[in-house]
Amino acid sequence: MDLELINDCVHCGFCLPSCPTYVLWGEEMDSPRGRIHLMKQHVEGTPMTPEMAGHFDACLGCMACVTACPSGVRYDRLIEQTRAEVEREHVRKPDDRALRAVVFQLFPYPRRLRAMRLPLRLSGGIRRKIIPRLERINPSLAAMADLAPPVSARVRLPHRVEAKGSRRATVGMLTGCVQGEFFPQVNEATARVLAMEGCDVVIPPSQGCCGALSLHSGQEEQAKRFARRTIATFERAGVDTIVVNAAGCGSTMKDYAEILEGEWARRAGAIRTVDLAEYLAELGPAAERHPLPLTVAYHDACHLAHAQGIRSQPRELLSAIPGLELKEISESAICCGSAGTYNLFQPEAARDLGDRKAERVLATGADLLVSANPGCTMQITAAIRRRGAQEIPVAHTAQVLDASLRGLGRVPTIPA
Amino acid sequence: MSTMTLQEPARRFEELLGHGAVITDPVRLRTYECDGLTHHRVMPGIVVLPESAEQIAAVVRVCNEYGLPFVARGAGTGLSGGALPRADGVLIVTSKMRRILSVDAANRRAVVEPGVTNLAITEAVRDLGYYYAPDPSSQQVCTIGGNVAENSGGAHCLKYGFTVNHVLALEIVTPDGDIVELSDGDPGYDLLGAFIGSEGTLGIATKVTVRLTRAPETVTTLLAAFKDIEQGGQAVSAVIGGGIVPAAIEMMDALAIEAAEAAVACAYPEGAGAVLIVELDGPAEEVAHQFGEVTRICEESGAFELRIADDPAERAAIWRGRKSAFAAVGRISPAYIVQDGVVPRTTLPEVLASIDRLSREHGIRVANVFHAGDGNLHPLVLFDDAEPGAGERAEIVSGKILDLCIEHGGSITGEHGVGVDKSRYMSRMFSDEDLDTMQLVRCAFDPRALSNPGKIFPTPRLCGEVPGVRKGVHPLVESGQAEHF
Amino acid sequence: MKALRHEAEALNKTGVTIREADPGDAVAGVPPRWVALPETTEEVAALMRVSAEHDLAVVPVGGGTKLHWGGPPERCDLLIDTCCLNEVLEHATGDLIVRTQAGVTMDTLAETLGGGGQELALDVPLDGATVGGTIATATAGPRRFRYGAPRDLLIGITVVLADGTVARSGGKVVKNVAGYDLGKLFSGSYGTLGIITEAIFRLHPVPLDRRWITVELPVSGPAASGGARSFPGGLETLVAGLAASQAEPSAVELDWPDVRGGATVAALVEGTAAQGRALAVQTLMGEHGTARITGEPPAWWTAPPGEDVLLELRIPPALAHAALRAIAARELPARVRGSVASTVLMIALPSDVGEPAFAEFVSGLRGDLGHLGGRLTVLAAPRELTLRVDRWGPASALPLMRRVKERFDPGRRLSPGRFVGGI
Ligand SMILES: Cc1cc2nc3c(=O)[nH]c(=O)nc-3n(C[C@H](O)[C@H](O)[C@H](O)COP(=O)(O)OP(=O)(O)OC[C@H]3O[C@@H](n4cnc5c(N)ncnc54)[C@H](O)[C@@H]3O)c2cc1C
Ligand code: SF4
Ligand code: SF4
Repeated sequence: MDLELINDCVHCGFCLPSCPTYVLWGEEMDSPRGRIHLMKQHVEGTPMTPEMAGHFDACLGCMACVTACPSGVRYDRLIEQTRAEVEREHVRKPDDRALRAVVFQLFPYPRRLRAMRLPLRLSGGIRRKIIPRLERINPSLAAMADLAPPVSARVRLPHRVEAKGSRRATVGMLTGCVQGEFFPQVNEATARVLAMEGCDVVIPPSQGCCGALSLHSGQEEQAKRFARRTIATFERAGVDTIVVNAAGCGSTMKDYAEILEGEWARRAGAIRTVDLAEYLAELGPAAERHPLPLTVAYHDACHLAHAQGIRSQPRELLSAIPGLELKEISESAICCGSAGTYNLFQPEAARDLGDRKAERVLATGADLLVSANPGCTMQITAAIRRRGAQEIPVAHTAQVLDASLRGLGRVPTIPA
Repeated sequence: MSTMTLQEPARRFEELLGHGAVITDPVRLRTYECDGLTHHRVMPGIVVLPESAEQIAAVVRVCNEYGLPFVARGAGTGLSGGALPRADGVLIVTSKMRRILSVDAANRRAVVEPGVTNLAITEAVRDLGYYYAPDPSSQQVCTIGGNVAENSGGAHCLKYGFTVNHVLALEIVTPDGDIVELSDGDPGYDLLGAFIGSEGTLGIATKVTVRLTRAPETVTTLLAAFKDIEQGGQAVSAVIGGGIVPAAIEMMDALAIEAAEAAVACAYPEGAGAVLIVELDGPAEEVAHQFGEVTRICEESGAFELRIADDPAERAAIWRGRKSAFAAVGRISPAYIVQDGVVPRTTLPEVLASIDRLSREHGIRVANVFHAGDGNLHPLVLFDDAEPGAGERAEIVSGKILDLCIEHGGSITGEHGVGVDKSRYMSRMFSDEDLDTMQLVRCAFDPRALSNPGKIFPTPRLCGEVPGVRKGVHPLVESGQAEHF
Repeated sequence: MKALRHEAEALNKTGVTIREADPGDAVAGVPPRWVALPETTEEVAALMRVSAEHDLAVVPVGGGTKLHWGGPPERCDLLIDTCCLNEVLEHATGDLIVRTQAGVTMDTLAETLGGGGQELALDVPLDGATVGGTIATATAGPRRFRYGAPRDLLIGITVVLADGTVARSGGKVVKNVAGYDLGKLFSGSYGTLGIITEAIFRLHPVPLDRRWITVELPVSGPAASGGARSFPGGLETLVAGLAASQAEPSAVELDWPDVRGGATVAALVEGTAAQGRALAVQTLMGEHGTARITGEPPAWWTAPPGEDVLLELRIPPALAHAALRAIAARELPARVRGSVASTVLMIALPSDVGEPAFAEFVSGLRGDLGHLGGRLTVLAAPRELTLRVDRWGPASALPLMRRVKERFDPGRRLSPGRFVGGI
């Protein structure tokens, strides 16, 4: 762990109120400032005790602290280094180890995920019966079952989508593992929106995981392997800009040059990763926006808002749609608890955060919840379901834009 | 006191608060070893995280039983080491007590628990057209309990006053564990006023009733860039001299601007040797008039660029640089000391010139950020802790700045408090009689000196059990660690 | 007698002017033996040292305007008259502060400050009041709504303790958190902790312009008959509207000379745009009657509604009208005046109200309003009226207050018995 980076922290505490675990528990050890302090203790010789590891594991990696920090502390780098250190030094309890093994052998591999989908596809009634029991056996399994959305029909995307009207750019598009598996309609919408805005969209067929999940869980080597493969895939596709619609993937891919070394770092640097909203805002509108009479609550996905600093662009894109009224969700900077694999490894905290977020989302009274991350959407709808509240339809920013550009008059939302 | 003797109280605390609310693991304890002033560190003996006044009272009573000193802590953003723990004592952290208990717009007040952040109050009442006026730069994180203890101010206290002017009542746990209400409406001594600013030495605030202020009709913020700090200072004097009391009037020098620029890219005018932020608020007509005056004065004083913000987004852009300035110097210097001296406003130019001289003499850079309207300076003394001797020189410069403040009839602290950091300067500002008299208050509240001992006052004192009567020689007095009082 | 002469000698030795007291010097009916006229803090300290040595009970007096406020002292040997501590020591216009001796009258101070275009933003209900007396009784007038009470404007203080110790706290800068704020503790301490000899205040520029807007509120409803149900119409909404008004009044005052009749509400706006803002206030008030704008205050502005039997009621603002109703319901010829927006109301009763009626009025109102946060204190009342009432009423922190008193004045020699709980 890098002492220089640790020492950048001046202990001002400005990051505390935006940290979800501090918001939940109000304890210094589970705040960014406290975790950095623990890192320092470790660097200075304190062994990685189970308590210490526990506080690192409890970090969602939401990077809200990075946004909040006026001193520019690179907590993102620090926690990656620390997670790797935890994996190296900390001996986990057997059941914890087993769960981790399952997750890391499953989630980053689209084909394996697909196989898992069926057992998770439970009807509402069975779900209600089975979850409390799973809860008793293993909260993490319950979390998995609870989160998994019903599966939609598989969609095969073409390898290339031609721009509508005059071509303004050519871009690559990442399909992502969770997005691709659970929310294929989002990828369809993304491709269409890009095309309608004048882009040729190249979609390499054999994309794997970008490495985000592994990286955020301290699986450094796995992450690097995935990163290299992703770079190579898009190099072969012949694009220099990759548009990503999943916040978690985007933030990791933007860091490729830092994660990788030498020749690979250079190759990573030659490809530009952009978030869909970021890209569209930059490009400026070309297609006509048709009205959508809707109130929309926009949820900031951490990996978009904090890790990539993209807050205003999606709001601008949405507000520009005639008839659409945008509502702010209070505590928008606080994570919903999804955070990649977090809801699998820290189910209780994830639940509490999900509940907190659900409450605030419902308070907006919006017709539609929009976010740029599949994990968030799954998490928040699961929490709303738990409350037994009237479910709120959810959609990805891309789907809303797609509906407006195509003049559908309504948003074909993701079935919850 | 050895850890052995803390085991029993720790067990008692667990009985009272539950297992999860008591921390005894050294790795965890150490994360509480300091507040915002990081060069003072002490690992607390025990940390407790109570959730109610009753729990705090119970903890304090146990402390009394065992003679354990205790220290309150809110968010730990204090800059004077006020929340520095005791190795032989208990740190009582209010971070779980953060409920807003009631908002009463008709009576313009809200009742909150001590761990509620300053900004959370404003957020809770904004829709009603109110806000909580004191606004320390740390408002997003610091707690109202900490604000009460430090009598915190902020940029807007020039017009609106400090915490003490906005707290209507407190529920406190006294140092012997009673729950008592101090209210501005009650007859009798203004113990409310005495408690606020006492830095946790008179007990622990467990409930705070704050005054809510009507959001002003109009707010206009103006940023003026000057060639140098003298011109900026002139403008400040002219504004105040002209009978205008702005909501805020803040200044930053070139080095502070550089830091803020590096941190938040605030895009202040290029080439500015000083920027002045003036905020005017109130009835629209009043503000319009004052605004005309202020722009004229700035121009006459040599401002080369003026920016005006009328909406919240533009205003936030202007303030962003100022609000991040402290933490931002981390970007231009590996280490720094934040000072908090106050001088009569009219002596500002002279004092700034002297600070500049000190800085050059000792080869230590000093960035200046200050609440110009009330003469509250925040010199940021920059140094590289890796460079041998730099820390010592920075300390010297920092101390001499305080001497300058005292010489000019000012104060060693305008808002950060005395804590442990400045207790040694107290006797430069006050006579022994002054300090002894203050200690009378301390002895009335806390005769056993258990509540945050070792803060504010340079010499620990013991209060005779009964005033005027002294029984034998106290071991601490005998060993020269304390003086009798 | 011998001891007496001994004490007098010791007092004289201080070099301070001492005279024998006469009946006019009585403090709430208790005559002192001597009156001392010190001119400096050091002289006060010398007097206090002698008093400590000879166990003399001391009561400080300023303009004597409020000497009949508070309880009568248990004993009183020496009256320390601060009238000769009458110098304004320093008016730093650029820093907007003033340092003054405690015996300076508020009028004199205002004159000095006015010369520099500045003022101490405290209104003075009683002519002749001194700086020290104003602090010690924590009196403020209409503008407390905007500027607060003496404690809010006091930034530094010098006091002499019972044993002659001279102590200072605060200083000459507005912003200062070094050490405990003794100024707060001495504000409203009624001379029971020490003698205030010097004070430093923060000042405000004199506003360019001032306007008073006044409206008469007649009795509403079937009120012509008088009695408990009659009440000035619309008071509640008007006051709430004014307090929240963006015209930012500095004061909102009520004058209710007869609780069976109508009332007058007046608001003050100050500043360069006072006229424009006054018009806004006039519109607000216009819904309740004919509102007039004047450049001068109404005749009753700032003055207390009576002298001899005077009470003060504090209550959360939204309950002001509930309090007024409760007062009217008591059916005594009370005169009420005060700040309705910040809610500190003065109530005057005729001096011939009679002990039983007075006792019932006080305990009845405390009963009606106490649980709502109302606090009623008897500022002034002859001893005969207060045989059965506690002048001060309950204070939850009384045990702590007693401990403070004990530390500052263990011998109980400073204004003993004048204050809350017999302190
Ligand atoms: C970047 C930065 C900017 C700052 N800007 C300002 C500013 O503009 N103005 C300003 O005034 N301050 C400022 N501060 C200082 C600090 O934020 C304030 O002093 C704040 O009030 C401390 O609150 P806290 O909750 O962090 O208290 P802590 O640091 O936890 O404690 C401060 C003191 O309060 C006591 N305390 C805490 N809670 C209680 C309680 N419930 N009852 C009794 N005592 C208690 C502690 O014992 C300690 O003595 C700044 C600090 C930082 C780091
Ligand atoms: S990444 Fe998120 S959870 Fe982790 S310390 Fe930062 S704010 Fe807290
Ligand atoms: S905001 Fe940054 S510097 Fe401040 S405590 Fe958090 S990480 Fe450290």
